Amino acid sequence: MRIGVFICHCGSNIAGTVDCPKVAAKALTYPDVVFSTDTMYACSEPGQDGIIAAVKEQQLDGVVVASCTPRMHEQTFRRAVERAGLNRYMFEMANIREHVSWIGKIMEDNTIKAQELVRMAVEKLRRNRPLIPKRFETVKRVLVIGGGVAGIQAALDCADGGQEVVLIEREQSIGGKMAKLDKTFPTVDCSSCVLGPKMVDIAQHPKITLYACAEVESVGGYVGNFHITIRRKATYVDWNVCNGCGLCLEKCPSHKHPDPFNENLCTAPSINIPFPQAIPKKAAINPQSCLKLTQGKCGICATVCPLKCIDYEQKDELVDVDVGAVIVATGYDLFDWHKYPQYGQGRYPDIITSMQYERLLSASGPTGGQIKRPSDGKEPKNIVFIQCVGSRDRSVDRPYCSGFCCMYTAKQAILTKDHLPDSQSFVFYMDIRSPGKLYDEFTRRAMEEYGAHYVRGRVSMIYPQDDKLLVRGADTLAGTQVEVQADLVVLAVGAEAAAGAAQLGEKLRVCPDQYGFFVESHPKLKPVETNTAGVYLAGACQGPKDIPASVSQGSAAAAKVLGLLSKKELESDPAVARVNQPRCVGCGKCIQTCPFGAIKEVADRFGNPKAEVIDTVCQGCGICTVTCPQGAIQLEHFTDNQILAEVQALCPPKIFANYE
Amino acid sequence: MSPLDDLKTAIKSRLGELDCVIGWEQGYDQLHATPLFIRSEADLDRLVIGPLAVHNLATYLPGLRGKKVGIIVKGCDSRSVIQLLNENLITRDDLVVFGLCCSGVVSHRKIRAALPVDPGFVEAVDLSTDTLSITASGQTTILHMADIAADKCQICQYPNALIADVLVGSPQESKVLTTLACQEEFEAKSEAEKFAFWQETMSRCIRCYACRNACPMCVCRDFCISTSRDPLWLGQENTPGENMMFQLIHVSHLTGRCTECGECERACPVDIPLLLLRRYMNKQVQDVFEHRAGTALEQTPPLLTFKVEEEGIKERGW
Repeated sequence: MRIGVFICHCGSNIAGTVDCPKVAAKALTYPDVVFSTDTMYACSEPGQDGIIAAVKEQQLDGVVVASCTPRMHEQTFRRAVERAGLNRYMFEMANIREHVSWIGKIMEDNTIKAQELVRMAVEKLRRNRPLIPKRFETVKRVLVIGGGVAGIQAALDCADGGQEVVLIEREQSIGGKMAKLDKTFPTVDCSSCVLGPKMVDIAQHPKITLYACAEVESVGGYVGNFHITIRRKATYVDWNVCNGCGLCLEKCPSHKHPDPFNENLCTAPSINIPFPQAIPKKAAINPQSCLKLTQGKCGICATVCPLKCIDYEQKDELVDVDVGAVIVATGYDLFDWHKYPQYGQGRYPDIITSMQYERLLSASGPTGGQIKRPSDGKEPKNIVFIQCVGSRDRSVDRPYCSGFCCMYTAKQAILTKDHLPDSQSFVFYMDIRSPGKLYDEFTRRAMEEYGAHYVRGRVSMIYPQDDKLLVRGADTLAGTQVEVQADLVVLAVGAEAAAGAAQLGEKLRVCPDQYGFFVESHPKLKPVETNTAGVYLAGACQGPKDIPASVSQGSAAAAKVLGLLSKKELESDPAVARVNQPRCVGCGKCIQTCPFGAIKEVADRFGNPKAEVIDTVCQGCGICTVTCPQGAIQLEHFTDNQILAEVQALCPPKIFANYE
Repeated sequence: MSPLDDLKTAIKSRLGELDCVIGWEQGYDQLHATPLFIRSEADLDRLVIGPLAVHNLATYLPGLRGKKVGIIVKGCDSRSVIQLLNENLITRDDLVVFGLCCSGVVSHRKIRAALPVDPGFVEAVDLSTDTLSITASGQTTILHMADIAADKCQICQYPNALIADVLVGSPQESKVLTTLACQEEFEAKSEAEKFAFWQETMSRCIRCYACRNACPMCVCRDFCISTSRDPLWLGQENTPGENMMFQLIHVSHLTGRCTECGECERACPVDIPLLLLRRYMNKQVQDVFEHRAGTALEQTPPLLTFKVEEEGIKERGW
């Protein structure tokens, strides 16, 4: 084999603390290395041309570039060696920037370490072999999971781009959290007025199929060819017939159940349509509270329904769809503030969450848009908003900023003044975080034009006094303690990962981060991709986000999907596991451990069980290769022997000269 | 009727449907048993059970896949059968398990050590509940069972077969003791002492692979990684380092699978205390995953499954 080695200076990034010419000279002494040089910028056009010229002049079979991280430029150099006529897998990269020059200051030590890393890359390359990707066709259909604003936007953009879309929503109606909001910042326009038309578009778009009350049951397949099973939960109403007239809601005698759409501030009938603008506007029975389903008596809805669409015998239904790509837009949940002892843990009815307050403000809410406190229905005069409840607090394992609470609190303070001109709002805050177009102006308006009294400090306790709540906290700017007699306390609860996100992530092979939000492929350069090809993220399932950011991400994910599905065929990564079938004893341990379902059992011509890898499903994670006791399954491009060669290059085995 | 007679009756009634039943018979002398493959009723007369029937016969099962096999198991052996079933390496429908209630087996190593001279050929053996008398070269020695019981029997938690189509004998109590003095003594050593210990011990290893071949859970057959060039994990030099590496590979392949039957150590011709490594690994598995191999059907060894997060491993909250 003829190997060429290129040591990159990266300007002074590497050359500043590594003696690059010395590393290049040393590389010439390694086995199979016939050419070695150092270069100012290997990734630049002249740098790449230099590599290509060397391959041709020296008749190289493989190339090692020692430069930055492969995450940065592996693709660049693979393309370069391909242009030079080599297989792109006959290339290895040694990271002497992030792993050497940026972390060590001593030139001598750095140079030695760089030499060792180059030696490892050479030893690996000596055992590389050309790999050729496979091609396969894609299904021109998209699954969007979650019908909040991000999912709605993604679905509409994909459908407008000409792809068929299946949108599934866990709840009875799409709309998500945004449908519950009264107004939106910073323009204070009506939330349902801006969202409503988009929801109607979903219902009417000829390319969109909507399944509400549905969840992902299982996921199989791979990018371009996912097989999805959807569980459509029983609603006990035939939605093909129901026209949403609402007669059943009025006559239902069992309406003691808390209404989740109104954040449990009021009750709802057991057969219900959550809100007037619901899409689909169909009734569904709550099986936990319905008298007919729990006790077997009643049946009034079936009697009054003019279309006879009530079906108490309805069962969950499984629907199979094949899709080419998946957009996950499952949103977030609100932090459970009961974990904080200082806010009464639910003992005081007049301490409510910001989302409950939204429902009180909303004209379609339980109070018809009048602000009344839950305990006695009186209009509050002094209202205290407490920010960062479940945000930026290590003690409850929520060290992150939820991002939108500062803004919605300002909005709620403004709306409060609009609703109750005599009221006074107090906002306890840590810092005002309002980076966004017109955002800072908006918070200033809340303070300056609407007279909200902002107090920088935390609340230490709240306790009842007569029919009021005494809120005690610190004013860290004044350096004093403050006490406010409040009629109503609104907690600006933060965002956390949606319930069930972990289970969904497991099905889709999308990793959650340590707080349960899904991890994007690269925090800067691949914000909507995941590490599973063909699965994209939109909205707050990736991290707390406000509406504009969620909508942008919905469109971004749709653009990625449209780009993916515009190709007739896709290429699979050939760095996947491969079974050496004569070695395989057919124990099936790899099948058990594969998180991607990429290994199946086949029979050889004698009927012996053997493992076989489905190339296009395999993600190259290597779990099977460490599971297989006899080493019969190997990850191409990362075989045991390739990795052991690297280890041995670093720790050469002791030679026992004396065999007697 | 004695348990042996019960067992013979039970085997007789099932023998017709089976290719063979694996048990024990007397070996080259009265002290040593050897595996017996019963194919006809005539073979049945040679069957023996008791403290001298030391082998874990489950080792044969994966190799007999596809045949209808009966097997006689002690409590410890039954764990290996369960583990093999759980790993899909044998088929329950092809298997008839004759379970014993075992009161322990002897350690031939301990017997050898207790006798004044290596007996060579043993002329007569007399077994009672508590003693074993051995006559060799005209000289009779009486040994107490407590002194010559295998280590595993002193801490046995599963004396009765955990899986059995037919269970013979009267159930025995599990032992109170759960840890061995030799294990505690070894684990109390410093890293340097342990290193020196293995340097010395592994220099005795002749890489005969008897430990591997006797192990019921070593099922790679002709494809053991220790003799493979691709992948090449292990050189063939007979050095303490390479020998230890082989044992470490063996132990890691047994993680969550080892049933502590002790066949590896019993088979070792140079008396390497291999169970020190296995008991230690099993303790880790027990602590982290609350898993003990081969104690229940349908359980999956923790390393043979994929979980996003393990309950017993703290991956967050740093």
